[in-house]
Amino acid sequence: MRYSLSCWVLLGCALSVGPHAAVAQSAFPAPSDTLPHRPWYVPHHVVGQFAGGQGLATIGAGYGLNRNRLELDLLAGYVPRKYSITAMGIFTAKATYMPWTVPLGHHGWAVRPLALGGFVNYTASRGLNATWDDKYPAGYYWWSAHFRLGVFMGGRIAYALPSRRPTHPRRQASVYYEFGSNELYLVSWWSNPRALSLLDVATLGIGVKLDL
Amino acid sequence: MRYAYPMQAVLARWFGWSASIAATVLLTGCDLFEFSPNEIRTPEAYRDLTSKNLTALQARPNPWGDDSLRFVFISDSQRFYDEAEAFVESVNQQPNVAFVAVGGDISDFGLVREMRWVHDRLKDLNVPYLTVIGNHDLVANGRKAYQQVYGPLNYSFTYAGTRFICVDTNGREYGFNGRVPDVDWVRAQLADSAEVQRQVVMSHVPPMDNDFDRQLEVPYVQALGDAPKLVFALNGHRHSFGISQPYELNLPFIDSYSFEKRQYVVLTIWGTKGFRLNTVRY
Repeated sequence: MRYSLSCWVLLGCALSVGPHAAVAQSAFPAPSDTLPHRPWYVPHHVVGQFAGGQGLATIGAGYGLNRNRLELDLLAGYVPRKYSITAMGIFTAKATYMPWTVPLGHHGWAVRPLALGGFVNYTASRGLNATWDDKYPAGYYWWSAHFRLGVFMGGRIAYALPSRRPTHPRRQASVYYEFGSNELYLVSWWSNPRALSLLDVATLGIGVKLDL
Repeated sequence: MRYAYPMQAVLARWFGWSASIAATVLLTGCDLFEFSPNEIRTPEAYRDLTSKNLTALQARPNPWGDDSLRFVFISDSQRFYDEAEAFVESVNQQPNVAFVAVGGDISDFGLVREMRWVHDRLKDLNVPYLTVIGNHDLVANGRKAYQQVYGPLNYSFTYAGTRFICVDTNGREYGFNGRVPDVDWVRAQLADSAEVQRQVVMSHVPPMDNDFDRQLEVPYVQALGDAPKLVFALNGHRHSFGISQPYELNLPFIDSYSFEKRQYVVLTIWGTKGFRLNTVRY
């Protein structure tokens, strides 16, 4: 019950950005380099990711805002029982900001050299020993075993696919990477300036994104 | 059409970045590809450390050379990696130490990566080290992470005529289910004393602590009290050193320093009940 409730709350949080995005877009004529107007609930792209603290295999969907500089994604990841006490489902809400796009030649290739982002995720797993339940007096452990906050820095290569119709803008397919960490690793790193380097607390994820 | 950045410069820089990222990834192996901080995957070098350290210990003759045994006792390495490095340097200068006993809370958040960070320091000890599980090591997937990196939660070993009994006493982590510590197991280990001169019990939470399962306090303490060869009971959890006899038994309980206190205890035991205790600052 607790798990499913939390999952729905996360889903709600991520979806609630949709209507604002639609309002913002309808107030101005859509620039020609953005995707066509569509109902708010239709995601702009789909995602598949490997690792990065968000699951062994992760799939999701999201929205591109601010001329695709900002992406908001909702992801569901899976880690099999082999690597855990019981299998883990990881539900992630993620924001990625990419200030620059550098075209590479005339064949539709482009590099987005910098991506900065953050995420919050909830791990659902029956075997996970909770830190915030009634086994403990209030405040016994300050962190949650289920919720994680993460930050990351990365980049991507994008390729513009041929248009389905001449009037439509070209959809992009892209490959990205994310070097990241989470608040527990960062706290460990911060309090051990001699022993731990940023690489010690780093994680890496790679993924693909496809515009719809 | 001209772009703001010359094509070749962009490509060169981009390939430079890619190469450095690729090199980083290759150098650190695939370790960085983490599915979840709670996953328990870890390379072979970080598995079954209890068993590996016991093998290493048994291969070493007792450095004291006679009936006596000397070992170092400390606990709660959780998130004190800087201190762990200083600890290792200090212990490596101690003469005649057979091994290091760590009284639990190896990790702070029950994460496998934390256990690896601790081992990365303690593996530089000149002597083997042995651990018992602490409450923080049981958080999230910590139980399985500890089992994978170290080994069983309850185990015992005999060295230099001394039976060490390491037992999980973190009752609160199991919701005080009446089964932790496993008193029957402890009793059986203590009863098996014919071949040994003396016994030592090491656990994380001491029986008088609020995190010990109240319903098991009396039977557990009775089991310890009924063991004539038991020298003392060692525990961590409290982060401050102390030695006391909290029960109507002739049995000292020793609370260890945590790593952050930059002190540890050197215990030398002989005969059946004889021991000397020194504290060392590092």
